[in-house]
Amino acid sequence: MKNESNQKKSKLLESLQLPRDVCLGALRVTLTGSAEAWVENYRGLLEYSEQSILLQGKNCQVCFEGTGLTIDYYTNEDMKISGCIQNVRYL
Amino acid sequence: MLEFLKYIRGYLRIRVYGFSPERFMNLCSNKDILLWDIEQAGDGYVMCISLRSFYKLKNIARKTGTRVVIQERCGLPFFVPIMRKRWVFLAGLLMAVIFWYVSGWFVWDISVTGNYQITTDQMEAFLQEQNIREGMRKDDLNIGELEKEIRRNFAQVTWTSIRLDGTKLLISVKENDAPILQSTDGAQETEGTDLVAEFDGTIVSMVVRKGVPQVRIGDVVKEGTVLVDGKVPIYNEDATLREYILTDADADIVIEHTMSFRATLPLDYIEREYTGREKKQTFLRAGDGFEGKLPKERPYLMYDRVMKQSRPRFFEKLNIPVYWGSYTYREYQNVEHVYTSEEAESILNENLSLFLQTLEEKGVQIIEKDVKIDTSGSERILQGEFLVQEPAGKRAATDRGEETVEK
Repeated sequence: MKNESNQKKSKLLESLQLPRDVCLGALRVTLTGSAEAWVENYRGLLEYSEQSILLQGKNCQVCFEGTGLTIDYYTNEDMKISGCIQNVRYL
Repeated sequence: MLEFLKYIRGYLRIRVYGFSPERFMNLCSNKDILLWDIEQAGDGYVMCISLRSFYKLKNIARKTGTRVVIQERCGLPFFVPIMRKRWVFLAGLLMAVIFWYVSGWFVWDISVTGNYQITTDQMEAFLQEQNIREGMRKDDLNIGELEKEIRRNFAQVTWTSIRLDGTKLLISVKENDAPILQSTDGAQETEGTDLVAEFDGTIVSMVVRKGVPQVRIGDVVKEGTVLVDGKVPIYNEDATLREYILTDADADIVIEHTMSFRATLPLDYIEREYTGREKKQTFLRAGDGFEGKLPKERPYLMYDRVMKQSRPRFFEKLNIPVYWGSYTYREYQNVEHVYTSEEAESILNENLSLFLQTLEEKGVQIIEKDVKIDTSGSERILQGEFLVQEPAGKRAATDRGEETVEK
C-alpha cells in the first residue's frame, strides 16, 4: 500500500518535474572525491566515530565509512564531513 | 571572512561527554546552534561553538545527560580583558595607528625634477608664495591650479605634472630648450648704465658700440673712472642741447695694468699617516636632534671618520627623517716632514701656473712677467709682477643729471 502511494508520488513529481529532495525529503549527498561530503535533508546524527558516521534521513539511514572522519560543521540544514571516505552505505 | 567574524564574536572549544553526545549535537542543530570542527576524543566529542550559543546549552546538556567542559577560549571578547591589564601597550598601539593615519593627511616632502634653467631655490620660493610647503594638508592642495600657476609663472616651462605619491609631492617640469624670443617692437625701457674702470691703468684698445666714450686710447685711468657714458646728448640744429637719451653703454675696452701674485710655502709640514687600525660605531639618528651611538666612546685620540648612512625603506616612503648607519673611525698620527727646495719650488710653480691659467681663461693677456722665489728663511716665497692687458668695463648706473628722455 505504502509502496504504491510512493510510486504515485514519484510519477507525479516526474511529470511536474519537481525536485525529489524537496518534495520527498530525500537525503542529498554531494561528494567531492573521497575527501569531502556535504549532506542535506537529514534528521539527525545517530553515531559518530573516526571510522563511521551514521545519519538518519526521512526514509532511510546513510552511513559514511572511512578513516579520520570529522564533521567540519553541523547545522539544522546541512553538514560537511571530511576525511578519507571509503564507503557510503544506505540502510 | 567567516573566520574573522567568528574571531570577533568569540568562540569556545568544548568537550561534550556523557550519556548521549550525538543527541546533544542533534538538539543543538534543531535549536539553530552552529557547531564546527567536531572531532571524536575518547568517550566524547570536542567541538567549537560560538560564545552566544554556549549560554543556550544548559537545557540541552540536562536533557541529554551530557557534561560540557570548556577547553579553550578564543576570539576578541576574551582578548580584550587580557589587554585591559596592558592598557599602556594598547594605548601605544592605538596612538601609533592614529599617528600613521593622521600623518597621511599631510605633505611631508616636496621634490622638483626636470628643472635646469629654473633653479630649485627659485621653484621653492615660488611654492612658498603659493603656500605650498612641507607639512601642509593634502586637502588644501589644488594640483590642477598649481600646474597652471607654474606654467603661467615660468615662461620656459612647457609641461608640468604634479602628483602625490603617499605623502610626497612630486613636481616634474619640462623646460623649453629653444631660446625664448623677446619682443622687439619698440625700444626697451632702461634707466641707463655707464661703463666704468675696475682698476687703474692705461687704455690700449677701445671699440664703442653704444654710449658716449669719455676716454681715449693711451689715457691713464683710475679705478671708477667713467669710460663710456650711457647718457647720449641730442642736439638741435643750432648745436644747442635738446635732450639726453639714456642707454646701456656697450664697448670692448682693454686696459693695461700691473698685477702682482704672491704665494708662500713653509718648508716644514704635517702629514697624516694612518696606522691601519679601524673601529666601527653604529648609530641611529632621528631628524637633526637625536643621535644614538653604539659604542658611545670615541675609540682613538686622533682619527677621522667615514659615515655610511641609510634610511629604512619604510621611513623613506613616509619621508620621516630616521636614519641609521655606521661610522668607521680610522686612527692616524701626525708626522712632521720637510720639503726639499726642489719640491717647494715645484709646488709654488704649480700654484703660479694655476693662477696664470685662470687669467688666460678670463681673457687676460700677459705682456711682461717678473717672477722671483725667495729661498732664505724657513719658508719659500714666490713673488710675481705682471704687466697685463685685461678687458675692462663695469656697469654702473648713469648719473641722470639734467632732465632726460628715456629710450
